[in-house]
Amino acid sequence: MGLLTILKKMKHKEREMRLLMLGLDNAGKTTILKKFNGEDVSTISPTLGFNIKTLEHKGFKLNIWDVGGQKSLRSYWRNYFESTDGLVWVVDSADRLRLEDCRQELSSLLLEERLGGATLLVFANKQDLPGSLSKDAIREALALDNIKTHHWCIIGCSAVTGENLLAGVDWLLDDIAARVFTAD
Amino acid sequence: MRIVDNMEVESDVFKENGASCPSEAGLKIPERMIKREQDRLEDVERKKEAKKSQSVTEEKSGFFTAAFSSERAAIEELLVGCSGETDRTLATQTLEEVTTRTQQLQKFLNDSMVFLPQYVLSRAQASLQKLQNSLAEKRDEILPKKRFAFRSRATNTPKAGPPSADPVSVITSKDSAETAVDAAISPPEQCGFSHFESQVLTKSGEEIKQQDVLLTHLTNCKVRLLGSPSTVHIKHIQNCEIFSGPVSSSVFVDHCTGSTLSFPCQQLRTHHTTNTQVYLHVTSRAIIEDCKEVRFAPLTWTYPGLDEDFKVSGLDRKRNNWNQVDDFNWLAVGTQSPNWSVIPEAERRTEWD
Repeated sequence: MGLLTILKKMKHKEREMRLLMLGLDNAGKTTILKKFNGEDVSTISPTLGFNIKTLEHKGFKLNIWDVGGQKSLRSYWRNYFESTDGLVWVVDSADRLRLEDCRQELSSLLLEERLGGATLLVFANKQDLPGSLSKDAIREALALDNIKTHHWCIIGCSAVTGENLLAGVDWLLDDIAARVFTAD
Repeated sequence: MRIVDNMEVESDVFKENGASCPSEAGLKIPERMIKREQDRLEDVERKKEAKKSQSVTEEKSGFFTAAFSSERAAIEELLVGCSGETDRTLATQTLEEVTTRTQQLQKFLNDSMVFLPQYVLSRAQASLQKLQNSLAEKRDEILPKKRFAFRSRATNTPKAGPPSADPVSVITSKDSAETAVDAAISPPEQCGFSHFESQVLTKSGEEIKQQDVLLTHLTNCKVRLLGSPSTVHIKHIQNCEIFSGPVSSSVFVDHCTGSTLSFPCQQLRTHHTTNTQVYLHVTSRAIIEDCKEVRFAPLTWTYPGLDEDFKVSGLDRKRNNWNQVDDFNWLAVGTQSPNWSVIPEAERRTEWD
């Protein structure tokens, strides 16, 4: 066993993951991040720029990047692609009028070479709203079944109540861990 | 000191053997030295054995390269083979197999990462990437992506007979459904108003009750939402007055012109809006994007039951950031955006019908 091998094994032991959270504006990305971290969600402003949170979960160190979803910010998303292990795509399930926009933005993201190795988690957010579409309707609207290039999963959740946020993140971590840390 | 000792020992040995052949004595290696040499050799052999038992054949980069490239070649062959395939289902099956085998290959590479030299690793990664690209190309060629469309409920019911197996006819029926998107998009359970002209539209607190409200395609209308919605979407509005009770989360405004809006909310997101007055109570922040001539003033409109609805919404009545507006097209700090302004007090509306 060479020194390099030892160094590489040590790096694996740290079990760090980089998650990138994207989606159209008003999808609830920052609310998900804050709720997951146990912070107050009533004072959140529309994100002008980005937020980063580092938190520990299930023995992993997660670096979560939450980048603003306004149209004028989407061209900057590319700056955050590098070495992303997991992509979290957040959808406002009650925003029927922009589902086509949402589908297009997601499908162009999936063509990005630098996101090629990332696992995709789709959060069908705002399930607490009576007018929200089900996760199956979102799955059809975003044509998720056509995705063959990435591991993916869709989960209905509510950032306001916190419902299913853990289930989603746990799935994402398991999938990434199975790909990246199998050497241990 | 040690050297001296050794010399003494050797001279002793010399004396012992010296009697038989004194001329060769200088060349002859003492027994103890031979023994020592043998021990050393055995030790080397033992260490070699130990090392051999530790290293696994799978962890040789030679083994990796051979296994990797043979699997890659097999996948490429499959991929080339399926381009001549005319049967759609068969081609799909082949593509599926190629996809899973490529994923397995990626996993094999990931697993081997720990012991591979950097060069081999990057070469393997590059060729895998190439494989994935040609797989994507092939998929586009054989199975072009269907465009998404809402399936209108109306087209589903009258369909007579078994569903046609011909994929072409399925696609065309989807295309025709696409034109009916607007109809399908507002299901009966959605709370709100769509496609009205010159009307007074009111919803009571009973009807609203923390629902998400959708207002679209309204012209010259007066809309009053006398309750607390959880969220409101306002889109394609012309010359309207839209007043609402406290909105628990965000209000999303898109394509609105010549109108007056008034509501308390947690966030306001305004897009593609021109020449519009907003009388606002916002507890976090209002933003505008691609807007012009949007003017803001603090909320003054009231209705019986507003206090009660404020409590239901959970909004903080004391915090109002109505004049802190972020313009996403004007990121210069310190200079006022030309796209929005504050309504001068003299011009503010005081009569609310």
